[in-house]
Parts: sequence; C-alpha cells; structure tokens
Amino acid sequence: MIGNDIVDLHLARIQSNWRRRGWLDKICSISEQKEIYTAQNPDQTVWKLWSMKEAAYKAHQRLFLHPPRFNPIDFICIDETVTIRNNEYITHSEITDNYIHTIAHQAAVAYNSKAFAKVDFHDKKELFEFISSWFQVTTSTISLEKDDNRIPMIKIGDTLTTIPFSYTGHGGYAAYAISI
Amino acid sequence: MTKEEILGKLKGIIEPFVENQEALKKLSEETDFIKDLEINSANLVDIILDIEDEFSIEIDNEDMDKMLTVKASLEVIQDKLAAK
Repeated sequence: MIGNDIVDLHLARIQSNWRRRGWLDKICSISEQKEIYTAQNPDQTVWKLWSMKEAAYKAHQRLFLHPPRFNPIDFICIDETVTIRNNEYITHSEITDNYIHTIAHQAAVAYNSKAFAKVDFHDKKELFEFISSWFQVTTSTISLEKDDNRIPMIKIGDTLTTIPFSYTGHGGYAAYAISI
Repeated sequence: MTKEEILGKLKGIIEPFVENQEALKKLSEETDFIKDLEINSANLVDIILDIEDEFSIEIDNEDMDKMLTVKASLEVIQDKLAAK
C-alpha cells in the first residue's frame, strides 16, 4: 500500500503557527516534539513529521478502507518509519526550499512518484500521463472516482481499478505516488 | 447553551480557515470540514484549539479523531459542556 503528502513550505509558514501553545501536543508525541525542538531547522522538522504522518495515514486508510479520521498523533514517527498500531510504513522525504514531499509505503512495494509545481487547469495531468504510458491506455479514458470513504480510485474506461495510488496537493505544489 | 448558539460560535471559529466561501454560506450539520469547506488538514488543529478556548473544554485524542464534520464537532462540544 502507498500514500504520499506534500507541504508547500511557503504556504505552511503563513497558514499555520505550529508554535501556538498546545498545537504540537495535539499531533506529536513527546519524543517527536523533542526531535522538533532540538533540530537545526525546527520548521522543516515539523512539516517533515507532519507529511510523514499524512502520507502514512493515506496508505493506512487505503489498506483498511476505513472512514476519514483525524488522528495524526496515533502515527508514531521514528527515524524514517511510521507505525500505527501493528502496521509499519517506510517513508522517503524529499526536502527542497519550496516543499517537503513524503512517500509512505509498506515494505517491498515498487512505485513511481513525482512532485511538481501545480498547473492551473489540469493538475492531475502528470498522474494521468504516467497511468497512460504505464498501462498503455489513452489519457481521455482515465478518471478518478472517490469511494464512500472519499478514497480516490483510478477508473480506466468503465472499469474501477484497485491500483494503489495517492495524490496530494498543497499551495503551489502537487505530487503523486502509484504502485507499479 | 443552545445548539444554535454552539453552531454560531463554531461557524465563527472555522470561518478564518475556510477556502471555499460558497460552501460556508450553505453550512449545515452535514458539512465536512475538508471535503466541503476545503480546510487545510493542519488547520484542523487550530480549530480544535479554538474550540477548547471558546467553550473552556478539553478535547482528547479520541474526540479529535472524529471531528471532521460540523455534526461530529457539535456532538463533542455538547457532550463536554454537559459533563462540566
């Protein structure tokens, strides 16, 4: 299973004040908070942990097909691994001056992933183009459909697939990750 | 506090974080913070903290888990107020 999450660092700076009293307590364990406060770049560390938790949440929700929840504190980050109950997700974060993009997956999952600056009209173009070339189908037959728990599924023609994938956008950036 | 009063205060709390202003006009109990109002998920933390401050209640992790809609938030606030 796979999930991914992107944080636009410029937008995050104006959108969220993580230093607000009580803010970190709601989403981070004591050891995660320690990691943030002792980091050379606490802002970057907060959003890295956040994107790890969000990416793992998406992989976890798709695995169990559960209704939406808001429980970032249940996702425990240790180094590059996120654990929720007995499930472990391995994460990879790409950190640039503009964004942090994290992919979370279960062990031994082959995937393709890409982060990019959002294009105004069709921001899922990159994902659709990958699906089109990988599965040898025309782009116009690809669409996304959300299930009852708002988990997006890839539809090719009239067929709703179970291809594990994840799409994320924040501010000026977007990214996808797809199992192959 | 009546349900309408709680709803009014809740609306005031979520308003600054709403990206979809049209959906805010049609706010109902069924309104979903992320899907309908397009609130950034990190800002849900601010909403939870603002609710705690406004109603002088404490929201634990289990309650927070479900506070993704107006209805669920109303229920949590009402329960906490009743337990005071």
